Amino acid sequence: MDLPAQVWLQAVANGFAIGWLYVLMALGLTFMLSMMGILQLAHGEIYMIGAYIVYYLSVPWGLDLYAAVFLSMVIMAVLGLFLEKFLFRPVQGQILPPIIVSIGLTLILTSGAVVGFGLFERSIPRLAHGSFEFLGSAVPKDRIIAVVFAVALLLLVYLFLKRSRYGQAMVASAQNRESAFLRGIDPNQMSRLAFLIACALAAAGGALAGSILELTPFMGTQPLVKGVVIIVLGGMGSLLGATVGGIILGLLDGVLPVIFSPVISSVAPLIIVIIVLLVRPQGLFGHE
Amino acid sequence: MNRNRLIDISSIAALVIILFLVPVLIKNVYWVSVLALVGINILLASSLRTIKLLDHISLGHVGFTLIGAYGSALLVMKVGLPFWAALVIAGLMAGVLALALGYPFLKVKGMYFAILTLLTAETLRLVAYHWKSLTGGTYGLTHIPPPNPLTIPGVGTISFDAVHSYYYIILVVVLLSLFIIYKLEHSHVSFKWQAIRDADNLAQSVGINVAWYKMVNFAIACFFAGIAGALFAHYQHNLSADFTSRFGVWTSLYLLVYIVVGGEHKFAGPIIGTLIITLVSEFARPLGEYQPMIIGALAIFVVLLLPGGIIGLPNRFKLWYRKLLKQTRRVQGSV
Repeated sequence: MDLPAQVWLQAVANGFAIGWLYVLMALGLTFMLSMMGILQLAHGEIYMIGAYIVYYLSVPWGLDLYAAVFLSMVIMAVLGLFLEKFLFRPVQGQILPPIIVSIGLTLILTSGAVVGFGLFERSIPRLAHGSFEFLGSAVPKDRIIAVVFAVALLLLVYLFLKRSRYGQAMVASAQNRESAFLRGIDPNQMSRLAFLIACALAAAGGALAGSILELTPFMGTQPLVKGVVIIVLGGMGSLLGATVGGIILGLLDGVLPVIFSPVISSVAPLIIVIIVLLVRPQGLFGHE
Repeated sequence: MNRNRLIDISSIAALVIILFLVPVLIKNVYWVSVLALVGINILLASSLRTIKLLDHISLGHVGFTLIGAYGSALLVMKVGLPFWAALVIAGLMAGVLALALGYPFLKVKGMYFAILTLLTAETLRLVAYHWKSLTGGTYGLTHIPPPNPLTIPGVGTISFDAVHSYYYIILVVVLLSLFIIYKLEHSHVSFKWQAIRDADNLAQSVGINVAWYKMVNFAIACFFAGIAGALFAHYQHNLSADFTSRFGVWTSLYLLVYIVVGGEHKFAGPIIGTLIITLVSEFARPLGEYQPMIIGALAIFVVLLLPGGIIGLPNRFKLWYRKLLKQTRRVQGSV
């Protein structure tokens, strides 16, 4: 198909930026899943509220955008600690109850957002204006800044897991909870850390999404679905898997609708996931 | 036949008679239509609980409802099949799709299965939303005909275009389906499911074909989801698959809430749960935006404080009462 290079580049840039948002979402989900065995379906709402906090701090209150993002991450991390302690720890280790708690939480947070923030669409100011010249076409600057920000966060998480004491403890606990416990690693502390990091990452993702797309109380559902699919695609508990899976899904979202009909582009992720599972049931980068 | 069983059967018979009399007693169209939807939801929740018998959780039950709904509507509208044939074929379509998807999906761990069903349901919804030539795309499918009028010699003709008469179709189909699901749960197949749930390696070693039984379980549950979808299509007369429609992620999640609030370990759990949550949300309707919040709070409350669901309440009271009785006796004894 003969499409101008500009269209292609635009599609790839969009897909790439959205892919990184999915990565932030999937990272948090995989943390909570591998530490506590909990599929946190309300994570999309954490992302949504994180975005609204950035909006309120930066637009009506006039705070610096980057400071607002940082503050929002801190606030959501603290909220994450509360959620872990009062809602998710009591149901840990069961199958259906944590899912129901997260569904209940989603209902409460979404309708709370409808009541509190209203239904009209808003958006966070763009991270940057203008565009770069790249291969003879223009790529919007704000997309690139979003990607850089997400990559920086991912690197931070990576360094935390590889270099710090707590990060190593988390890795150990994910690999074998009982053995880690015998070595003096408190599983509850690890769960707290998982929720803290997950909610901070979701808030950052929401803020980036809010500056590229719009804010609505329902903005969290789509990234949540993508986030959980990435876990299956990349392999549970794998940082690399979440990253590669996120970028794959993002690029599919950005590029497929340009080439194929919407029907094919909506079926493609499912088919890719099924093929991956038939070949590697543990996901692209998962361990058995 | 012992006395308890006799009491059970007669109370169920009484309940069924009352359900048959509902349209005669309640003239209000709104409440009869609420009850009709409750019936469809009960079938959905009960069939979803069948998957739960294997300790698997489907987050995408609504995807198979969508297959049933669009399948049956299109079979009637484009192929010209009669309603009853379309109903069964639509159910079979959902079941066969589940059987095919079950092979890759059930190979992986439980949590993955949940996620994959969620992805399937969203994919099916998006396909229905975008496939303009088949499903009407964003406009949806409209003018789905009601079932053909039924002529009973000597009685007359019943047409099913009104809620009060369509209610009977839903009632009969749902009761029959529930009966089949109940019988399945108390058959030899169910023992094998239990064996697989408790120790799949062990089950495999005594010669149970684990993968096949899992797939069949998933297919049966989805067959009934398809039936429920077909019932819904000819009741609603129009279908749309946008994000906020009945085929969105939310319906599947609500079904899980029904099961857990009612009580996941009992057959009657999803039925009680569906009824209670529907009643609560109907009465909370004047609260507008706060309505989902109340359901959410109720769900969290039941999970955290009433494990076993509402159906476990009488037992809980009994235990509590016995404890109290023992304590008062002890106090009296010491005095």
